[in-house]
Amino acid sequence: MMYSLLKKLFLIIFICYVEYILAPGLIKLNIVLPLTFLAYSFYMYRSKNNIGPVEAFCTGLFIDLISNTFFGHNAVLFCFASYLINTYANAFKLFSYLQVCIFFGVSASAYVGFTQIIINLYNFSYLTLFVSTLFNILLCISIAILSVYFPSLTNRKI
Amino acid sequence: MARNTPTPGQKISYFLVILFGVFILYLDINTNTFNGIKNGFSSFKISSSYLLKKYSIDQITELSRLFKSKDYLSKENKMLKEQLDKSYLDNFIISREKSFFYDHSSLNKIINGNKFIESYSLAKLKSFNPNIFNCCDKHRMYIEIIQNTNKDIKEGAVFNETGIIGQVVNNKSFYEVMLLTDTKSSIPLTNSKGDFYCNASGSGASDYITCSYSQLVWLDDHELGEKFFSSGLGGIYPKGIEIGNLESIKIVDTSTTLLTIKLISNPLHSNLFGVIKL
Repeated sequence: MMYSLLKKLFLIIFICYVEYILAPGLIKLNIVLPLTFLAYSFYMYRSKNNIGPVEAFCTGLFIDLISNTFFGHNAVLFCFASYLINTYANAFKLFSYLQVCIFFGVSASAYVGFTQIIINLYNFSYLTLFVSTLFNILLCISIAILSVYFPSLTNRKI
Repeated sequence: MARNTPTPGQKISYFLVILFGVFILYLDINTNTFNGIKNGFSSFKISSSYLLKKYSIDQITELSRLFKSKDYLSKENKMLKEQLDKSYLDNFIISREKSFFYDHSSLNKIINGNKFIESYSLAKLKSFNPNIFNCCDKHRMYIEIIQNTNKDIKEGAVFNETGIIGQVVNNKSFYEVMLLTDTKSSIPLTNSKGDFYCNASGSGASDYITCSYSQLVWLDDHELGEKFFSSGLGGIYPKGIEIGNLESIKIVDTSTTLLTIKLISNPLHSNLFGVIKL
């Protein structure tokens, strides 16, 4: 239990760090890649059990703390993503990979949009939102293709 | 296995948590309520990264710097040793200038022109088997010329700071040096009075050469400890270089006497040699 929690925290910190490294380069191309959000969404999607609101909230709060954004920003969005994924978890099984990818891409762009509204309201850019949406959808499709051709990459138990 | 969709009770908990999150968000945006926590975490992050760096990366860097420094010192030490060996060789030549140079003005020329390097070729040991040297008849070593006088040094005399050690006999890949102790080696010697000459051959034993002569030709007696010098005959070895001291006298038969001379030079003394061709 403790080991699993530590592993999750470590992974969150690591992914957050990767996002922190990638962000300055991608923003020049008007792309915002919410890697932590996507990774946690994927974790919730793959999880056998439902991720409760408190866990999602606490994880979001922890990410707020380590990424130095407003408290509640990630907490609320993670909680909302958790609600959506838990609600449609069974419906996803009927969806094609493409549809699931589009869902995650769009949810990532929604995350970007909300983030821009919260922390970057005066420089809100539709171009960034649009390019980010496309990029995130394409990224999700690429990951899906990778998971088809290299199943060992995505079948790892977190 | 199917996952349970959120029940109405869970939906309410989601709603409440999201509401709480929005409240926190509003509070954080409009007030400085959480600044203490954020600053505390930032200071923890900075101090822990500082400590981690200090006790991990800095230690490794320091270790690497230490190794580099040791490596540098070792190289410098090696270079200084080579310079010192070379100066010993220079001194060896200066102290025996009359022997090495028939034309005595040549040494003055060298000193004035600061051209020690051009007076002899400088060579470095490439291969030498000390076990063979201590046991067997064939005493050879291989040297590599590192500073050349542009002369053909085949049959040149090889010396180090202790004295003459042999001559160059082959120059196929590296220069092969036949040591004085090699059984095929021969060096013309004379005694300090200059009234006795003989060709000393290598004994096959390290440090010793032997000189065989006929008592019918050379009537004078020898004393143990008597010094022997190179006679300069043959044109390979310079004249008047001290080669060794008489260690033993053995009368082989009525006409033949065998002198065993202990060499003063030692080929194992250093890795740097001078090669001079007269």
